[in-house]
Amino acid sequence: MTKLAAPLRTAALLAAGGLALSACSGVQNTAGGSGGGDTYPTGSVEMLVGADPGGSSDLISRAVSDGLGNELDGSFPVINRPGANGALAAGELENAEPDGSTIAIQNASLFAITPLAVPEDEATSIDDFDVVGGVSRDDYVLVTNADSEYQSLEDLEGAGSLRYGTTGVGTGSQLAQALLFGDLGVDATDVPFDGGSPTLTAVLGGQVDVAALQIGEAIENVESGNLTPLMVFGPERVEFLPDVPTATEEGLEVEVAQYRFMTVPTGTPSEVTDRLTEGMEATFATDEYQAFNEQNSLTPMEISGDEVVAQLEEDRERYAGLIEEYGINLGDAS
Amino acid sequence: MSDPKRAEAQQTAETPAPDLLDEIQAEVAKDLEDEKDPGGTAYQVVGALVGLALGVGGIVLSLGYGLGTLREPGAGMWPLIVSVLITVLSAALLVVGRTLDDSERFRRASLLPAVGAATFVALAFLMPVIGFEIPALLLCVVWLRFLGGETWRSTIVVSVVTVAAFYALFLYGLRVPLPHLFAF
Amino acid sequence: MDVNAFVEGFGVVLQPSNLLFCLIGVLIGMFIGVLPGLGPAATIAILLPVTYTIEDPVTVVIMLAGIYYGAQYGGTITSVLLRLPGEASSVVTVFDGFALAKKGKAGTALGIAAIGSFTGATVSIILMSLIAPLIAGWALGFGPPEYAALALLGVLLVATVGNGNALKALITAAVGLLLATLGRDSFTGTERFTFDSLQLADGLNFVVIAMGLFGVAEILHNLEQRAGKAQPPAVVGNVWPNKAELKQSSGAIGRGSVIGFVLGVLPGGGAVLASLVAYAAEKRRAKDPSRFGRGAIEGVAAPETANNAAATSSFIPLLTLGIPANASIAMLYAALLIAGVRVGPSLVEDNPDIFWGVINSMYIGNLFLLLLSIPLVGIFVRLLRVRPAILAPLTALITVLGVYTLNNSVFDIFVMMFFGVVGYLMKKTGFEPGPLVLAFVLGALVEDNFRRSMLIFGGDPLGFFTRPISATLLVVFVIVAVLPLVKLVLDRRTAALAHDNSKREDVTL
Repeated sequence: MTKLAAPLRTAALLAAGGLALSACSGVQNTAGGSGGGDTYPTGSVEMLVGADPGGSSDLISRAVSDGLGNELDGSFPVINRPGANGALAAGELENAEPDGSTIAIQNASLFAITPLAVPEDEATSIDDFDVVGGVSRDDYVLVTNADSEYQSLEDLEGAGSLRYGTTGVGTGSQLAQALLFGDLGVDATDVPFDGGSPTLTAVLGGQVDVAALQIGEAIENVESGNLTPLMVFGPERVEFLPDVPTATEEGLEVEVAQYRFMTVPTGTPSEVTDRLTEGMEATFATDEYQAFNEQNSLTPMEISGDEVVAQLEEDRERYAGLIEEYGINLGDAS
Repeated sequence: MSDPKRAEAQQTAETPAPDLLDEIQAEVAKDLEDEKDPGGTAYQVVGALVGLALGVGGIVLSLGYGLGTLREPGAGMWPLIVSVLITVLSAALLVVGRTLDDSERFRRASLLPAVGAATFVALAFLMPVIGFEIPALLLCVVWLRFLGGETWRSTIVVSVVTVAAFYALFLYGLRVPLPHLFAF
Repeated sequence: MDVNAFVEGFGVVLQPSNLLFCLIGVLIGMFIGVLPGLGPAATIAILLPVTYTIEDPVTVVIMLAGIYYGAQYGGTITSVLLRLPGEASSVVTVFDGFALAKKGKAGTALGIAAIGSFTGATVSIILMSLIAPLIAGWALGFGPPEYAALALLGVLLVATVGNGNALKALITAAVGLLLATLGRDSFTGTERFTFDSLQLADGLNFVVIAMGLFGVAEILHNLEQRAGKAQPPAVVGNVWPNKAELKQSSGAIGRGSVIGFVLGVLPGGGAVLASLVAYAAEKRRAKDPSRFGRGAIEGVAAPETANNAAATSSFIPLLTLGIPANASIAMLYAALLIAGVRVGPSLVEDNPDIFWGVINSMYIGNLFLLLLSIPLVGIFVRLLRVRPAILAPLTALITVLGVYTLNNSVFDIFVMMFFGVVGYLMKKTGFEPGPLVLAFVLGALVEDNFRRSMLIFGGDPLGFFTRPISATLLVVFVIVAVLPLVKLVLDRRTAALAHDNSKREDVTL
C-alpha cells in the first residue's frame, strides 16, 4: 500500500490545486499567496521570465521560485512573458513597483550581447535594475559531428571554408563562434537556427560542420560519442566536461559566457533585497537545488550583485572591442 | 424531401453509396439555413483592392529591408517575393472576379457584430486596470440581454455563474495568472 | 527489438499507481486542450513542482505524456463544436468537423476523431517499437533544404484545401506567408512590418490569429445571422458514427496513420504538415472532392488520425537522439532531467524500463482516451443544445481569457480582435480563413529553411537537387502543381471524345 499512498497524496494535491486563502487588495495576477506578518514577502511575489516554458531560463526560475517559496515562506509564482530575447519581461520589471512584489532572473546576453545586435533605443541597460545576486552559468561548448573530418581545433584552423550553426542572432552561440573564426582567420558562414534543438539536429545530421551549444543541450550526444567537444567558451573548465579545454587555455581570446542573476526594479528597499539574498543563499544550499544544477549541467555562479554588474560591464566592453577588431556584424544594428 | 422513402429508392437505384441521401438532405438544410445574399460587384472589387494595397505596401516596405544576394538572402527578399505574388493575384482577381457571388451583403443587423467587437475591446482595456471580473460580467450582460434577448433573470444568473466559474477555473483550478480585483 | 524489455514495459505501466496517473494526465490534457491558449507545454510547466513529489520518473513521464496527447484530443473537441482550433495541427479538422457539427453530426465527427486518434496512435506506437532507431536516422537526414522543399509542398497543398474560388484561396495563402514574416528577422535582426513595436518583435502567434479568424469571426458573424430570427438550438443528431461512416473513413484512417507516423518524426512542424498532407491526400483521392469542407467524414478522420500518429512518433527524436521535437516534449524532457533521468541515445540500453514504459504508457493512455471519449462525446455534444444566445458569451469569454493566458498579454487580445474583425470582413467578401492560417504556420518554415539552404549551398539553388530527399520532394511539388492542369486538359479532351462518340452512336442508331 505504501507504494500507492505517495502517488495518491500527490493526486489529491493535483486535484485540489492549492486552496490557500488570503485577503489582499488591488488588482493582482495570481491566486492565493501566503505569508503574514511584517517581513517580506507579505503577498505573492511574481517572478517574470522572458522566455517560453521549458527552456533553461524558465527551468532555472522555477527551481529558484520553488526554493524561495520554501525558504522565505511565501509564494513566488513564475509568470512567462516571452518576447524579444527577454526584453519584454525586462521592460515590465523596470516599470513594476519597486517593493519586491515583482522580481526576475535575467540573462547576461540581454545586457552584454543583444545591445551589439540591435539599435540603441531597443537595447536594455542594467542601470535600470538593482541586481540582487548571481545564480548560475550556462557555458557554451564547441562541437562537431564525430563522423566529420574536423576532430580538433587544428582541423578547423586548416579548413578552407566552414559552415557553423548558431542558436540564433544575438546569442552567445553566435558571438562566440563569430569571434572564434575571426580570431582563427577562417572563412566561415554563419547559419542561424531557431534555438538549441534545431542546431543540435543540424550538426548531428551534418548540415553544418560545427556548432556552439549550451552544455545541457549537447552533453547527451557528447557522452554517447555522436558529437566531439572541441572546447568550452567559459572562463574555466566545466565539471561536466572535465577533459575539454577552455578557449583561454587554447590561447584564444574568445571567452563568452551566459549567466543569470536575480534582479529587482531600481529603488527596491534593502530589507527586500536582503531577504531575497538570504532566501537565495538558503536555496543554493539545498540538495534539491544542487541536484537540479547538476542534471541541467549548470555551473553555480553565486556571487554578489555588484560583482555581477562589474562582470556585465567588463563583458560588454570586451565583446564590443573584439567585434570591432574582427569587423563582425551580429545584426543590422547600423 | 416530402417523400424520403421514394427518394431513398431512387437514390439506391442510382448509386450504391448508402450515405448519399444524408448528404443531400444535409446539403439542402444547410442551403436553406444560410440563404445568402451576395453583395455584388462592389464587394468583390473592394476585396481585390485591399489585396492589391497589401501587396503594394508589402513591396514598398520589403525593398527597405535589404534584398541581399542569393548567396546571402537579405531580410527583404522573401517578403518581396510574397508581396509581388499578392499584387499579381489581386490584380487578376480584380479583372476576373467581379461576377463572383460568394460575398454577403451588409444589413442593419451588421451593427450587432460591431457592438460585440466593442465589448471585447473594452474588456481588454479594462482588465489590467480593474481586474477581469467586472468587465467580464458586463460583457456577459451585454451579450445575453441586449445582443441575445435573454430575460433579465437568466441574464443575471448566467453572468454571475459564468464569471464565478472562470474565476475558480483559471485562478484556482489552473493557477494561471489573470488580473483580478477580488482575492479570497 | 528486445521482447522482454517490451513486456516488462507493460508491467510497469499496468501498476495501479501508474494507471491512475495516466488517467489523471489524460484528463488534465483533454481539459486544457478544450481551453484555447493554455497549451500542454505551459500546463506541464505549471505542474512541474508537483512532479518533484513523485519518486518514480516513469510515473512522472506517464502523466505528463498523458497531458500531451490528451490535449491533442481536447483541441479537436473545440475545433468541431465551436470552430476554435487550439493548435496548428487541428486547424484542418475545423473545415469538415465544424460543417458536420452544423448538420447535427458533431457526435459523428468527435467519435470518428476518437477512433482515428486511437488507431493512429496505435499504429504509430507499433511502428515506433519496431523501427524507432531506423526512423531516427531519417529525422537527421532532414536538413534545411528538405524542410524548405517539404514546406513549399505544404503551401501548395494549402491553396487546394479550401472550397471557394481558387484565386482567392491563393491570395489569402500568400497573405498568410506575408504575415509570417512579421517580426524580427532571425537572420539579420531586421525588424519587419513591426512599426517599431516591441510587442510585435517576435512576430504574431498562431493561436492568436487562428482564434481571431476562426473563433471570433464566427461569433461575430453569428450575432448578425441570429438577429430577428427564432433561435432554436443547433440540431444534435446521432452521437456515434454508424457502420457506414466507419467503413467510409477506414481508408482515411489507415493512410492518415502512416502519413502521421512518417512526418511526425520531423521536429518542428511535423504534426501540422501531417494533418495537412493527410487531408489533401483524401481530398485528392475522393471521387467528389467538393464534399470536402461541407462535412465529409474523411475530412475529420484523416487529419485527426495523422496528428495523433504524429504526436506519438514525435517522441522518437527525443527517445533516440535527445532532441525534443516541440515545446511540450521539451517540457517533458525537462521533467525527466529533474527526475534524474538523462534522455538521449543511450536511453534504450541504460534505462529500458523508462524507454518502454513511456512507449507503452502511450498505448494505455490512448486506450483511456478512447474509453473516456465514449461518455464524454455525449456530454460535449449536449453543449450545442445550449441556446446560442447563452453559448455566445461563454465562447467569447473562453477565447478572450484563453488568449490572454497564452503569454499573459493584453496585447494578444487586441491582435485577436483585429483578426476577428478581419475574419468577419473576409466572410463578407468571400475569402476563407483556412489557407491564410495554414500558410502562416508554414511561412517561417519555408523562408528560414530556404535562406539556411542558400547559406549552406553557397548561393547555388541547384544544391536542392544534389540531395535525394529534397530533390524528390521538389519533383513531387512540380507534379502536384502541374497535374491538375494536365488533368484539366485531359478531361476536356475525353469529354470532347465522349461527346464525339455519343454523336457517332446517335448516328448509327
